[in-house]
Amino acid sequence: MTAIQTERRPQLAPASLSRASFAITWRNLIHIKRQPEMLLDVTVQSVMFVLLFAYVFGGAINVPGGGDYKEFLLPGIMVQTMIFSSATVAIGLTNDLQKGIVDRFKSLPISRSSVLVGRSISSLIHASIGIVVMGATGLLVGWRIREGVVDAVIAIALLLLFGFAMIWLGIWVGSMMRTVESVQGLMFTVMFPLTFVANTFVPSQTMPDWLQPVAEWNPVSALTQACRELWGNGPAATTSDAWPLQHPVLMSVVWSIALAAIFAPLALAAFRRRSRD
Amino acid sequence: MSDATRTRPHDVFADGPSVPANADSTRVSWWLIDAWLMAARNLRRIQRTPELLMYAVVQPVMFILLFAYVFGGAIDVGSSDYKQFLMPGIFVMMVLFSSVSATTVTLAEDMQRGIIDRFRSMPMTQSSVLVGRTASEVVRTGITVAIMIVMGLLIGFRFHGGAAYALLGIALLLLFGYAFSWLGSVLGLTAPSVEAAQSAGTFWLFPFAFVSSAFVPTQSMPGWLQVYADHSPVTVTVNALRDCFMRGTFDSDGAQSLLWSVGILVVFAPLATVLYKRRSA
Repeated sequence: MTAIQTERRPQLAPASLSRASFAITWRNLIHIKRQPEMLLDVTVQSVMFVLLFAYVFGGAINVPGGGDYKEFLLPGIMVQTMIFSSATVAIGLTNDLQKGIVDRFKSLPISRSSVLVGRSISSLIHASIGIVVMGATGLLVGWRIREGVVDAVIAIALLLLFGFAMIWLGIWVGSMMRTVESVQGLMFTVMFPLTFVANTFVPSQTMPDWLQPVAEWNPVSALTQACRELWGNGPAATTSDAWPLQHPVLMSVVWSIALAAIFAPLALAAFRRRSRD
Repeated sequence: MSDATRTRPHDVFADGPSVPANADSTRVSWWLIDAWLMAARNLRRIQRTPELLMYAVVQPVMFILLFAYVFGGAIDVGSSDYKQFLMPGIFVMMVLFSSVSATTVTLAEDMQRGIIDRFRSMPMTQSSVLVGRTASEVVRTGITVAIMIVMGLLIGFRFHGGAAYALLGIALLLLFGYAFSWLGSVLGLTAPSVEAAQSAGTFWLFPFAFVSSAFVPTQSMPGWLQVYADHSPVTVTVNALRDCFMRGTFDSDGAQSLLWSVGILVVFAPLATVLYKRRSA
């Protein structure tokens, strides 16, 4: 009787973090191709917000220094879109955890952190589509970048940096919550005040005295003011004495690093705990 | 067996109104009892899932605070206090969102889960499913309105037109919400999935509610937009509420709002019923 030849299974070398992250980013982007309605929040909704605020509120809101409200508005709406990207990542991650997809990833020879890196990169791309759509809509309604190319690129880099920091908040929430509905509820409750109690849509000087410090020290205000200055939109100098609004570019970087430093470890710990369950 | 002649065992009404066993009743009374039971079933969902009520509480409170304090100082409404100007607008917007979104999504959910198919197998009038659904939305909307009134009073809003006109305004508001819940039923019945229903129930509502006199005077809008905003059903209803709450009057805006509500009901209630019969056939 002849001995049965046993073929040895080839060793599966674990994929590098960059390759695995790219694969998962690609997988998340394929979702958009399969379900184009996932882009509604950064396309239709973004256009709607720009048009609503520009034409409905534009004539009734007075910008200090007599600037054009459309110029004042666009940086604020772009910042809001970047912040809402954390809700996108939270919902996507909770969905994957709920459906057991993360459990399947655990059986693959990939680094567990690549799931998070891939998710965060795809969310940044998702939010960037919104920025492009809003930029195009803004150009149509009369918004312009009035400073140089370098300043314009710095502003976009600040938006992406802040978006990246906020994504860690999204990963943390997505890992902590059990259902998509609860994530949506929590993110709405957090994101709405965060983006509105700021100088995103109205100047902070017009708010009641007790609310002004909250708006001025809100990280969203610093980033919005930084974009306005770098793009040459709205009043050249803010009338506020608040330190973050006097040094908005520096404060945007500080806030982004601080938020990432706080939420990244929390998010990683929560994700490890959740994917161990 | 026809609806008018059938009899139903007493235990069908275990948690409903007491009806004598084997009582012959008219089609209308059966229909009313069925609608009442369906409304009770929908309201029980709030008891089972309190986050539904939480959403109905948090969202209006947040909108009131945001517009009153964040936008209030920046929006120019002439001589009147912005909070007095704002509250009728918030009432109408939140009632619209509550009526349309909730009806659209919950009806689509029931269709997808096969609950409507179960109702078909029961000895009940089929149209009562929609009547019960929309009636329960009026109750839920009423809760939302009550919360908004309390919140409004806390931030300084007052009814200057007297109690009778305040109640008339609230009745007009609830009728407006009820009419739009039938439009929500049509959207819920035509949506292919719950996700699609969520989009269908909210996307068009934003421009519909905002392009009106709800938050800013229409005079501040560009001319081409003002033409639409001045004749929007939202604008006439908001203006009617301002008349009732602040001036104690009910004039052309009130009449137009009433006509819009009745018109929407006349169009969408039969349409929803036809769609429901077709979907559940």
